[in-house]
Amino acid sequence: MAERTRVEQNLTYATPRESARYQQRALLVGALFLVLFIVGAFLPITIGGGIDQFFHSYLVGFMFWLGVAMGCLGLLMLQHLTGGAWGLVIRRVLEAGTRVLPLMFLLFLPLAIFGLPHLYEWMHRTEITEKALRAVLEAKKNYLNPTFFLIRAAVYFAIWFALMFFLNRWSADQDRTAERRYSKNMTALSGPGIILFVLTTTFASVDWVMSLDAEWFSTIYGLIYVAGWTLSAFSFVIAVMVWLATRPPLEGEVRAAHFHDLGKLLLAFVMLWAYFAFSQFLIIWSGNIPEEAEWYLNRLRGGWGWIGVAVVLLHFALPFVLLLSRDLKRNARRLATIALFILVMRFVDLYWLIVPEFNRGHFKFEWMSIVCPIAFGGLWIAFFFWQLRLRPLLPINDPYFDEAIEHGKHGGH
Amino acid sequence: MPESDQPHDEVRVHETTPLIEPGHTFASVTDKISSLVLKRRTPLGWFIGFGISFMLFQLFMLAVTNLVFTGVGIFGTNQPVGWAMPIINFVWWIGIGHAGTLISAILLLLRQEWRTSINRFAEAMTLFAVACAGMYPVFHLGRPWLAYWLFPYPNTMGIWPQFRSPLMWDVFAVSTYATVSALFWFIGLIPDFATLRDRAKSRGWQILYGLLAMGWRGSARHWARYEMAYLLLAGLATPLVLSVHTIVSFDFAVAQLPGWHATIFPPYFVAGAIYAGFAMVLTLTIPLRKFYGLEDFITDRHLRNMAKVMLATGLIVAYGYMMEAFFGWYSANKYERFMIWNRMTGPYWQFYWALILCNIVTPQLLWIRRIRHSTLALFIISLVVGVGMWLERFVIVVTSLHRDFLPSSWGMYWPTVWDWSMFIGTIGLFLTLLFLFIRFLPIISIFEMRTILPQAEVEEEAA
Repeated sequence: MAERTRVEQNLTYATPRESARYQQRALLVGALFLVLFIVGAFLPITIGGGIDQFFHSYLVGFMFWLGVAMGCLGLLMLQHLTGGAWGLVIRRVLEAGTRVLPLMFLLFLPLAIFGLPHLYEWMHRTEITEKALRAVLEAKKNYLNPTFFLIRAAVYFAIWFALMFFLNRWSADQDRTAERRYSKNMTALSGPGIILFVLTTTFASVDWVMSLDAEWFSTIYGLIYVAGWTLSAFSFVIAVMVWLATRPPLEGEVRAAHFHDLGKLLLAFVMLWAYFAFSQFLIIWSGNIPEEAEWYLNRLRGGWGWIGVAVVLLHFALPFVLLLSRDLKRNARRLATIALFILVMRFVDLYWLIVPEFNRGHFKFEWMSIVCPIAFGGLWIAFFFWQLRLRPLLPINDPYFDEAIEHGKHGGH
Repeated sequence: MPESDQPHDEVRVHETTPLIEPGHTFASVTDKISSLVLKRRTPLGWFIGFGISFMLFQLFMLAVTNLVFTGVGIFGTNQPVGWAMPIINFVWWIGIGHAGTLISAILLLLRQEWRTSINRFAEAMTLFAVACAGMYPVFHLGRPWLAYWLFPYPNTMGIWPQFRSPLMWDVFAVSTYATVSALFWFIGLIPDFATLRDRAKSRGWQILYGLLAMGWRGSARHWARYEMAYLLLAGLATPLVLSVHTIVSFDFAVAQLPGWHATIFPPYFVAGAIYAGFAMVLTLTIPLRKFYGLEDFITDRHLRNMAKVMLATGLIVAYGYMMEAFFGWYSANKYERFMIWNRMTGPYWQFYWALILCNIVTPQLLWIRRIRHSTLALFIISLVVGVGMWLERFVIVVTSLHRDFLPSSWGMYWPTVWDWSMFIGTIGLFLTLLFLFIRFLPIISIFEMRTILPQAEVEEEAA
């Protein structure tokens, strides 16, 4: 058994050493930008600072990086359910991605404790004089109020932590003991887990983003986040995998055939996201009901429409056309470039979803909303590399380990 | 497989039951499947089944004749419910077809080998279901002989279709779907037609199957071109799984009516279609494989996999209902709130809760391993889901319409005997076509079954 001896030879698939350097740099960048971001809160409004601005941007940064971590959780459960070589080779990266969730919880605290009045109109229900809006907020006060909002947030995080905890622990136990029953456990948890993932993602997206406009609602909204977060995570994971696959110890283990599969899935998620987002647009455009259409009008008028067009062309059309190419999907570096590009477009999309809510009718470039994601991103990536180094880069004792690696050597589809 | 001697089969998480029972050879597979068409005497049961189906089909003919002579007034459709049984049944049938396309195209692209023994059958089901679905819009026009007015063609009447209407998109989506499904099915059949041609004993059948085989000789070049064509068609058919039912959902969702105007409709309709389709495949496969002794080819593993797909799509449908209910309440819009409340407690409340019972509660049994392993349980659940998906369309169409914005025009809808006759009649049409298919064509793809035999794998490696 050639493959087994690899483990006996004590090849433990340690993360490349450069990762420590990357971790330090990411931490440095994160810390610097965090300071800049906090300073921004005390700068005058005229130059784009201020406490309101601080929390608006905070929400953008938080939602973006939460999406990457949550997408990792969703994908981790998905690959436990479907099996397949693609899932096995990225499993450790996904697991490390989910273990950044505690950081996201820490970052959520300032938002929960200080941020709500700066973000949500339903926090000011009693002060609002506009009759129609007041009536809507009154009707929704049983759902949109700070106490229930925080209770729900606590439930979401509790569920996410529980899923993260068990999936990571069993995976580590399997490394240590080589017992295959852990695979069974992980698969068994992933079935109900994915249901919880979809439901919590839906309700979290309603609470944290949709309720910025308390009057508006759309039944597909949660699914747009499910697809979007998964796409963010997939883009991030592909970029990391390419970096890992071009140097020891994964060089020669993770190959073109694996990237081909990952590329196909990336294309599938791009299409899924576009399908959900376009369905919502078409139905609301066609129905043209004032309460509903207003949400899109806020995102199309006063220059925002250009961002919308950019999202259509660069978040969907361009990656879609490029990812159709077989050669491109098998070329790891090019695939990574597209993946990173999609990740950037995920940010643009989120900016377009959130920022127009605070700047209705006129486009605004907010430097704080760029600084914050970079700050959180630095911390996120540092945390991620720290976690990634704690375990072998491949689940060496998975029952399908050999098959998954073999797939890379033969799979030429 | 270098580790085949490893004793870890029993701890494998994923299925390891073979797709084809051991002991079969290339010849035995060919013999067994082709003999159903060529050698075995037509069983008595076939005549009984075909007879009943044909009688039901005559009911359809009767209903349609009356419809054409009398007019659409024979249906219960009337204000405020101006869109009832015909659209309900259209959506039900077209949804059922989706499983066939999913099995034949998407599972092919995903390299899911278990699709092999059920794809031919599922594709036939798709075609027949689309044929049944097509009856409704055509006959509901009232003057079906003018159905070609739906197409954009130069004419002196100044008639031009309204391209902003999803009903217009439906015309193209469904006709494309029917065309691609038929092509896909036929191309898949060509090598098997050749097998039947070579094995048929009588001159008449040799000529008929020979014509259908289109000169297939099985040369390497034939196979290379064939594989390419099949793969391209699969790629072409894949978007159709999504597009057809997405457009069907737009028929409702682009309107402003509460209960129809919901952005969740496209994915939830697509999932519902696949859900109903897999239920129908199970409903038909389970008796068929028993009757013809095909347990070697359509193994329990196939049934279990289909059960899992059913569970997954059923959960997406459940998510759809949940979002409708939640946002109906969250919206704080009085019309939305009334709609969902009326569905649950209004005059059609029995339909809503029966729908929840059939589509959401019952399929949860599929989480249990023992249920997934019981053929009888799967058969019953698949029937229940089939009924549930019909109820879903009834609830969406009727409960949304019967209480419209103007309380003075509120009313009730009940299908008339002609509504039911036409519906039961299309079931007859569907089963009639299915029985003919079983009798005259190989219901399992012979050549594809040969490729999943263990022997085929060995030869590939030796080459």
